[in-house]
Amino acid sequence: MSAELIDPRGPRFGAAITSALSLTAFGIAVTLPDGFLTAYPLIVLLALLFSWNVFAPKTHPFGLIFKKLIRPRIGAPSELEDARPPQFAQKVGLGFALLGLIGYWIAPVLVAVSAGFIFFAAFLNAFFNFCLGCQMYLGLKRLGIIR
Amino acid sequence: METSGIYLALGLFALTLLAGIFYKLSAGSGRSVQRSESIDLVGIGAQKNGFPVKELGKNATLLQFSTEYCGQCPGVRRSLSQIEYRTGGVLHAEVDLTDRLDLAARFKISQTPTVFILNQKGEVTFRVSGVPKAGLIQQELAKLGIK
Repeated sequence: MSAELIDPRGPRFGAAITSALSLTAFGIAVTLPDGFLTAYPLIVLLALLFSWNVFAPKTHPFGLIFKKLIRPRIGAPSELEDARPPQFAQKVGLGFALLGLIGYWIAPVLVAVSAGFIFFAAFLNAFFNFCLGCQMYLGLKRLGIIR
Repeated sequence: METSGIYLALGLFALTLLAGIFYKLSAGSGRSVQRSESIDLVGIGAQKNGFPVKELGKNATLLQFSTEYCGQCPGVRRSLSQIEYRTGGVLHAEVDLTDRLDLAARFKISQTPTVFILNQKGEVTFRVSGVPKAGLIQQELAKLGIK
């Protein structure tokens, strides 16, 4: 089976931006008096960005910025990686964004919970090269939760 | 709310940082295995360069578990092949778990690459999840008296 191969630094670049956005959202949510509501638009933005990566990854702005501006400056990667695990990680991210997006209307604090989880996963991915969603991929397949 | 919120945000950042550092320190360190069944390489479909492996290595076998979507597996394959080439009586064999999730469950493998060191009898003496740290495999082989 031939699979699409990508530059592993692309998703990490996107994760760095995602971690900045989600930490901002978390900071706003837990410090401002109307924090959960004020941070809500950022959760909407995160949900949009994750959905974009899930449904049309090739046109995603972070990917294009990486391809046009970053990659020409840092040269070719030493190794390409399969696109499936990072793709799956984007779905996990979308799941957490939806938790805040929908959860807000049930319990506003879920905005902070959602932003916190997204920050945790995105930061580890960007700065420690640890892709939580990718690590879950084989484990969840094994349990039969995903195919 | 406001001041405690700042601590909450700092706490999240610190927790994420600690998780990342813990991951960097522990990833690829591996652990010894006390009791193990003898692994039948033919039965689990171990391969070498696309051909089935019939016998264990004379002194030890480096059994690598990979998947099609594993980004770091080819690099580990190369470094283990090098060890095989340089070390007498050591065989490197690989199992593709993509369609053998039963094996992932049986050996409790939740990420690829995972590397097992098997002794002469085919029993697991050591296992590493993730990319083995530099020199680790040689060190463990030396403990088995193989140099």
